[in-house]
Amino acid sequence: MINPETRKKLRRFREIKRGYYSFLILAGLLGLSLFGEVLVNSRALVVSYEGSLYFPIYKDFHPGTDFGESYSYETNYRNLQARWQKEGSDNWLIMPPVPYNQFENHATGSVFKPEPPSMASQHYLGTDTTSRDILARLFYGTRIALLFAIAFTVAVYVIGIAVGCAMGYLGGVFDLFFQRLIEIWSNIPFLYMVIIIFSVVPSTFSIPTRIVILLTVMVLFSWTSMTYYMRTETYKEKTRDYAAAARVIGASTSRIIFRHILPNVLSTLVTFMPFTVISAITAITALDFLGFGLPPPTPSLGELLKQGTATLRTAPWIVTAAFGTLVVLLTLVTFIGEAIREAFDPRKFTVYR
Amino acid sequence: MNHPSIIASNLSRGARWLIAVSVVSLIGCGGSDEATFPEHDNTAEVQAYYANNPEFFVFSSINQLPSDLAWQNGSHLPDIGSPDAVKGGTQYSSISDFPRTFRTVGPDSNGSFRPWLLDSNTVTLAQRHPDEFDYYPGLANEWAVDRENKTIYVRLATTAKWSDGVPVTSDDFLFMFFFFQSEYIVAPWYNNWYSSQYTRITRYDDHTFAISIPEAKPDMDSRVLELRPVPQHFFSELGDDYVERYQWRFAPVTGPYVIHDDDVDKGRSVVVTRNKDWWAKDRKFFRNRYNPDRIQLTVIRESAKVFEAFKRGEIDQYGLNLAEYWYEKLPNEDPDVQAGYIHKVQFYNQRPRPTYGLWINSSKPLLRNQDIRIGINYATNWDLVIEKYFRGDYERMETSSDGYGEFSHPTLSARPFDIQKALAAFARAGFSERGGDGILVNSDGQRLAFTLSTGYEKFKDLPTILKEEAKKAGLEFRIEVLDGTAGWKKVQEKKHDLHFSAFGVSLEMYPRFWETYHSDNAYDQAFLADDSANPDREVKTQTNNLETLAIAEMDTMIDAYRASDDKAEMIELAHRMTALHHDHASFVPGYKQRFYRAGFWRWVRYPSFFNHKHSSSSGSYFVHWIDPALKEQTMAARDSGRSWPVEIKVYDQHQ
Repeated sequence: MINPETRKKLRRFREIKRGYYSFLILAGLLGLSLFGEVLVNSRALVVSYEGSLYFPIYKDFHPGTDFGESYSYETNYRNLQARWQKEGSDNWLIMPPVPYNQFENHATGSVFKPEPPSMASQHYLGTDTTSRDILARLFYGTRIALLFAIAFTVAVYVIGIAVGCAMGYLGGVFDLFFQRLIEIWSNIPFLYMVIIIFSVVPSTFSIPTRIVILLTVMVLFSWTSMTYYMRTETYKEKTRDYAAAARVIGASTSRIIFRHILPNVLSTLVTFMPFTVISAITAITALDFLGFGLPPPTPSLGELLKQGTATLRTAPWIVTAAFGTLVVLLTLVTFIGEAIREAFDPRKFTVYR
Repeated sequence: MNHPSIIASNLSRGARWLIAVSVVSLIGCGGSDEATFPEHDNTAEVQAYYANNPEFFVFSSINQLPSDLAWQNGSHLPDIGSPDAVKGGTQYSSISDFPRTFRTVGPDSNGSFRPWLLDSNTVTLAQRHPDEFDYYPGLANEWAVDRENKTIYVRLATTAKWSDGVPVTSDDFLFMFFFFQSEYIVAPWYNNWYSSQYTRITRYDDHTFAISIPEAKPDMDSRVLELRPVPQHFFSELGDDYVERYQWRFAPVTGPYVIHDDDVDKGRSVVVTRNKDWWAKDRKFFRNRYNPDRIQLTVIRESAKVFEAFKRGEIDQYGLNLAEYWYEKLPNEDPDVQAGYIHKVQFYNQRPRPTYGLWINSSKPLLRNQDIRIGINYATNWDLVIEKYFRGDYERMETSSDGYGEFSHPTLSARPFDIQKALAAFARAGFSERGGDGILVNSDGQRLAFTLSTGYEKFKDLPTILKEEAKKAGLEFRIEVLDGTAGWKKVQEKKHDLHFSAFGVSLEMYPRFWETYHSDNAYDQAFLADDSANPDREVKTQTNNLETLAIAEMDTMIDAYRASDDKAEMIELAHRMTALHHDHASFVPGYKQRFYRAGFWRWVRYPSFFNHKHSSSSGSYFVHWIDPALKEQTMAARDSGRSWPVEIKVYDQHQ
């Protein structure tokens, strides 16, 4: 697949520093978030108890009794650490840099209320209205949003490319039929459809199932726009000499589409990718903000934004954190998109106005 | 199964709004907004209905009125409100949604706007005095109770008028029964209530009548005295098209405020105007109340925005019941409070408390097991919610019938959060092992997980706290936050596992049990002939028995309680039923609030005692008044920096 032409484009992408670094940062963030449990978690990284080592993070829960506590529910490692330190015990444990998970209510005072960022309590971005750590919620919320956006983009592209190519290449009645179908389908307002469909999904489904349903519904109403571009591009490429030549040699339809036409329309595809990612992130954030997205207590940017706007006066750090994250995320994706467009532009010296 | 209706019923408010908008726009395309209806007059039909039900509608003459009746008129009761109150000014308030109809019964009518059309804006025959509990006269001048014949006699005030000037007569009460018994109004609850809870109305003359009821309860007078007449002259067009015909028409009221058609800005605001010729304006018990000339009700959907509007002075008062508002959004140190512009008040009241708690649907497979329900009770950490979320302001509710004085159980208390007891109870039900995530599983691998739903958006954080705590006892709550209508629909269809909700309770002498605990409201055929559970029984929907509680012993007690006219016996029964309900463990009592809190700008004035003992919010009984001069002064002071002494008051005379 990597022909010299593509390699040249990738090289040019690397030369556009702003986009390239944005890409590195975003990829780094994504990679980091995949191992987020090591960074942001209420479970200890390592516990040394009575001579043996425990690594609780990716394992089943340890009841408190495992470490000499009196309770049978999940060990509170922060308290355990504090106790051992106080007793001067030989046992020790190491907590992650952010020792909170995204669900627990941890108030440093006596009541649940938003607390401002504090290094001492290790709530680096403060806490939300029920004293949950904002950094933890942001972190896991962003991870869900990013993974969601990637899954969304892949799904939309697979469907969009398949249908669009088929329309452009096969043409005729098939093209005509699908065009009409898409015209009708794409006139259904997407956000409202998501809201309507998602509000009838019973809550007995587990949270991952609900996320998959939400994804499916969003993909169902979003693949259409991709087909337009693919159809036009395929239509155009199909009439080019090289495509005709391939046909004359006797190449099969699938070979022509996948080996000859697709690589040539790649630039169109790649250019739109960042916008698809952005639309997925904003859509899921908007849905959460409206209260139709992921079920509580799933952490999400939209939910934090909503809390933040309701407590604008009393806890500005909530909205700042959520809004800041969203801005950074979308700016990075936009920079990448800009760089990709420029790198894949055959006219190297034009200026994007 | 009627599929579309299910989808529609589950639509969120946003989606419904969307559909409503699209429907409106379609109608809009059709041309005129004002639909015309064929002429209709039901006078003959009403007369025929009376004639066909001679047992119910009795026409007598004034000579037949028993002469040995003991008439009462509540004249010994003190005035309501303060004689200092001054009429005038405009009050600015908000409503969360524009009303979907101006009807007071039928589809969509039971919304947050209805108090302005009915509850606080019509006068009943007599009303409970907000300090004394006894009745003071409303539309009635006097009344007499005949316990032996289960009948209440009423003499109407001859001066009583509808807001359109037509006198209120006995005929409006006869018509009231026709109206509420008719199928035109599409309101089965009213059909049932007005057919089954009253047995007869006897008309003696234009202003004298009597109403009979099936049982002589200790508070039998309330059944009749709290009735509101229906204006016969206005509903002369009542027919099959009632729902559409009366959709946007204001019925005349007997209360102090009227709504003029041009004061309605659809979707945005409604202004109610004080009726200067109100028939009761100089009557004792009414003369010091309902003071603002105009009340502007603006639609503001989000409570955070309402609060911002309040802080700008565009809304006069704001309820500060939530700790977040009392302590953080409007703390005592707030500049507007410190400058004396905004006053803060905490008022201890006395009335039955709304039943906030978790309603467990005991018809669901695992929840049928009493041990699991007991475990859930012990695994629900309300104490933490009260201490940390409500900041210790509220108290634990002990039973589902707190606040009824001697009718409440004197010693029972709610089960505290206790992990050991919860685990022991779950173990009895076969859940003794914890799975990899700490949630209990039984030998079949079934997890101990239930959906905890709620229709309270403002309390959406509360279930998340309970969830985290329940996890310690190996119990998982899956949270579902719905909007109010969808949440209510869910429990009415009995589709919930556990639901966090409360029944609003009105000022009554004793708690009701039939609605919530009788098997008639749980299953179609709850028991077999020998009182054992019927294996083929089907859950009954659209009732308030949210626990699908069906115990033969409870039924027997409820029937005795409903039939009893002996107060001591009723108290004893109430205690036994409360204890049985506690043992059944299908309700996790939540919290109760013994006061209400409010913030208001200094141009809103209150009596020196603030409000009456049974008031439920600062606006109850309309004892406040608006001082336009103070408003002007305050607004100017905000620019000039002038300030007044801080006013943060706690009224604990009824604590």
